[in-house]
Amino acid sequence: MQSPTPLIRLRGVGKSYPVAGGEFHALSNLDLDIQGGEFVAVVGPSGSGKSTLLNLLAGIDRAGSGELSVAGQDLRALPERALSRWRGKAVGVVFQFFQLLPTLTALENVMLPMDFCDQWPAAERATRALALLERLGVPDQADKFPSALSGGQQQRVALARALANAPALILADEPTGNLDSTNASGLLALLAELAREQGVTIVMVTHEAAALGQVQRSLRLRDGRLVEDRRHD
Amino acid sequence: MTRSRKTWRDLWLHRTRSLLVALAVALGLTAAGTVLNAWALVERATDEGYRASLPVSATLVLDRADPRALALAKARPDIAASRLRRSVLAAVQANGRSRNAVVIALDDFQRADIARLRAESSAWPPAGEGLWMESSSLEFSGAHVGEPVSLRLAGADTAPVDIQGLLRDVSQAPGWMENLVYLYGSEAMLTRLGAPAGFDELQVRVRDERATRAEVRASVDALRTALTQAGYTVKSVDVPEPGQHIHAAQMDSLLMTQGAFGLLALLACGFLVVNLVAAMLTGQTREIAVMKVLGGSPTQIGTMVLAQAGALGLLASAIAIPTALWLGRIYGGLKAELLNFPLDGIATPAWAVMLQLAVGLAVPLVAAALPVRAALRRPVGEALRDIGITREGQALSLKRGAVAARLVPLLGGWARPLLLSVGNAFRRRQRMLLTVLALASGGAVYLGAANLRSAVRGSVDDLFDAQRYQLQLLVAAPSPAASLEALALEVPGIAAAEAWRTLRTSLGPEPLTLLGVLPSGRLLAPRLVEGRWLGDGAIQELVVSRLLQRQQPALTVGSRHRIANRDWTVVGLVEAGPQALAYTSRANLDALAGNELATNLVLRLQRPESPVALLDAVRQLREAFAEAGMGVAASQSQAENRRVIEDHLLMVVDFLGAMGLVMISVGAMGLASTMGLAVLERRREIGVLRAIGARNGAILALVQVEGLTLVVLAWLASLPLALPISALLEVAFGRIMFAVPWRLLPSAGTALIWLGLMALISLLACALPARRALRIPAAQALAYS
Repeated sequence: MQSPTPLIRLRGVGKSYPVAGGEFHALSNLDLDIQGGEFVAVVGPSGSGKSTLLNLLAGIDRAGSGELSVAGQDLRALPERALSRWRGKAVGVVFQFFQLLPTLTALENVMLPMDFCDQWPAAERATRALALLERLGVPDQADKFPSALSGGQQQRVALARALANAPALILADEPTGNLDSTNASGLLALLAELAREQGVTIVMVTHEAAALGQVQRSLRLRDGRLVEDRRHD
Repeated sequence: MTRSRKTWRDLWLHRTRSLLVALAVALGLTAAGTVLNAWALVERATDEGYRASLPVSATLVLDRADPRALALAKARPDIAASRLRRSVLAAVQANGRSRNAVVIALDDFQRADIARLRAESSAWPPAGEGLWMESSSLEFSGAHVGEPVSLRLAGADTAPVDIQGLLRDVSQAPGWMENLVYLYGSEAMLTRLGAPAGFDELQVRVRDERATRAEVRASVDALRTALTQAGYTVKSVDVPEPGQHIHAAQMDSLLMTQGAFGLLALLACGFLVVNLVAAMLTGQTREIAVMKVLGGSPTQIGTMVLAQAGALGLLASAIAIPTALWLGRIYGGLKAELLNFPLDGIATPAWAVMLQLAVGLAVPLVAAALPVRAALRRPVGEALRDIGITREGQALSLKRGAVAARLVPLLGGWARPLLLSVGNAFRRRQRMLLTVLALASGGAVYLGAANLRSAVRGSVDDLFDAQRYQLQLLVAAPSPAASLEALALEVPGIAAAEAWRTLRTSLGPEPLTLLGVLPSGRLLAPRLVEGRWLGDGAIQELVVSRLLQRQQPALTVGSRHRIANRDWTVVGLVEAGPQALAYTSRANLDALAGNELATNLVLRLQRPESPVALLDAVRQLREAFAEAGMGVAASQSQAENRRVIEDHLLMVVDFLGAMGLVMISVGAMGLASTMGLAVLERRREIGVLRAIGARNGAILALVQVEGLTLVVLAWLASLPLALPISALLEVAFGRIMFAVPWRLLPSAGTALIWLGLMALISLLACALPARRALRIPAAQALAYS
């Protein structure tokens, strides 16, 4: 039986950066398939290439070599402008430092991707944003500015924002790195629920050992190479 | 909707900086807008005030101007209107002031078809007893409407005359500017005061409103022939530039030059706005990257940022346009006063306001365009990793290490913090360059204006150094030169006297004034530019002033010309400032006229520095001449003459200086914003410095020395920049007024004053950023993200 087309497909992907002594190979000859609905953790020591991998999947950085396809889109073929558009619709990104826009309220932060991508009628955006905040347990924070929210609340708003355009893929870069343990485990539970119940594919870079208990699969990187691909029951 | 909210809230979040941008644009726009509005108002006033008055096309001075001469003019098909006039020199005294005056009689004051006069008081037209005064002379004369003044026409007795009303004659240059009181009355009144009966001038207006000066001259020549054939003697013909007020060309050039500097001020604002927008975008680097991650296209994000710039442009326009309208009216009023046009009832044209609005919006948008484009092109990954300013600092640190090694032994513990501050100034090089450029260009205009002021003063000095007399008398009727000189020397306090005579003639079609002086006289020694001064006994020699040569370039040294039916040789060229004339030996003019009569008498006083001695001399001279039957038509002291000339000239220079100060203010705002941003960007660094023991003084010095470094750089840049600016100003001034000797380098004193001013600006501009830096707690700064 032929396996279904993976949501993410990497073949021979490499990425290097120029540094003082020559070139630093952040990723080398990486082959990887991730199916839709999987909740995957990417782990490894600092400098192993975790964030580079995430940036390549989000189209934030360009691969130096190899083939890279995400949600059916060959990312090498997209110009910068089209990449922004694609990213807004197909990918939701959650950052370690939340990166909420300080001059927008929580509700407006969630509405902003909808404004950019125009996927939802303007009249429905506020309702949808509020529904997302409700689902993530922060509806009463909707009218507050980020500076008035706790770290955990900010990260929930950031996750709601990542879900705004109902993307097939959520990329999270150490989403619990700035949270206390209670908020961190709550957030991981939420991500697991999204993958399980809504079939959203989640790729999460993490240092947290506890996170491995929530994910279906973990990828271990070292020196830019995939050294372990493990499934969790 | 969400996007527009973010735009407004970002503006509000950075309100101090936003306000600074708006104020910078507003300042430049106000400067440029003021000049534009003034120019537009003056243009309108020229159209509605001067041209609508149907000005005189030509004035013919006849032996007698009577109704038959008028009829001859009216009979010509190309002449639309004509009138008779007589003007007589006089001296007027009112409320302790004594002024020279011209009393003018017209055959009809209510004529609407030639040089229309406007009544400015109820009693109209001038008739019977009393005189009317031109409005621009009133304040200067010291007289009041309804009160008598003492008037003495040349060669006549003093008589009390009532000033019955005011009128506006837009064809006259303002009385206060010309140092002359214009009075108007009936011919009968003039005769009663002692003037000859009848008129002696025929003024005409040609029918073709678009006629060139040559065409007017052709029409007038035909009239002149007709008058001559009818037995009249035409003594002289004056044809001014058609449709142009006597000062209009100067005014246009002046306003154009000032407008150019207004635009320069606007450009300096542009630098500041580029700086501020670039800084604003630096602060938003990560936000822009996040928005790209969220699916924002460059167009969407670019529109959000440019909307901020547009909003600032609107705010700037809202501040600048009303201010410029108000200032433009004041400044335009001043200019119009120089042209003798009132601005009452004249509105600034809508196009001027629309243009200012367009420029107000465009300046921040254009200034923001490049930094916005650069920010949007920055890769998302790189922008998300942005951690502020490091690279430039690293590049400098290597060089700084070498310099520090040399300086530490010299400066001890101060060397490293000092170098840190100096090095900081170079960390954002583009911003540094724009800040320095904005300050330096303001400084260059300031220095240029100072150079021009010095050049103008030098030129006026040249003129008055050449005139080694303190008083000039104009006698009512040509009198024997020797008698005039002898009579004057009998008056106590007079050290030397020379009688000169004037001949108004023409060189080809152009009018020419010949001043007959004593070649070996002691009271005139103009600075020779080329050739030589008049030789003793030499006949038919001319020495021309530089301004005359510029107006009539054929008058080169060595050239020969046919003037007044004689052949003349130009033997020299002298600098005579704003005077356009040719000097010759008085004997030459005596020979031409067949007599030895003169009208001008120049006098050196024994106590030239004493104003009291001057007043005494004038009074005694008038009495002595009156007793001898030679009326004094006018007297003029050189000090007063100089004041009037300097007032005219320096007003232009002062405006340019003011424009330089506007630009310096813009530069100071740029410096304040640059330093504010520097402190904001280096909160973490300042926190680290605090954490390792830096005290308030060190933090304060860090900011202030960085600011001082920038102003010293700007000062250094402004010195060479002042060279082309000075040259430009001096060339422009030469075209508008008269050529001044080139002074391209500022004096050491001016350069040092400018440095001091810059240091003060730096201290003030850095005060707020330094205060902010002092308030940064180490813990908070280190946690700042």
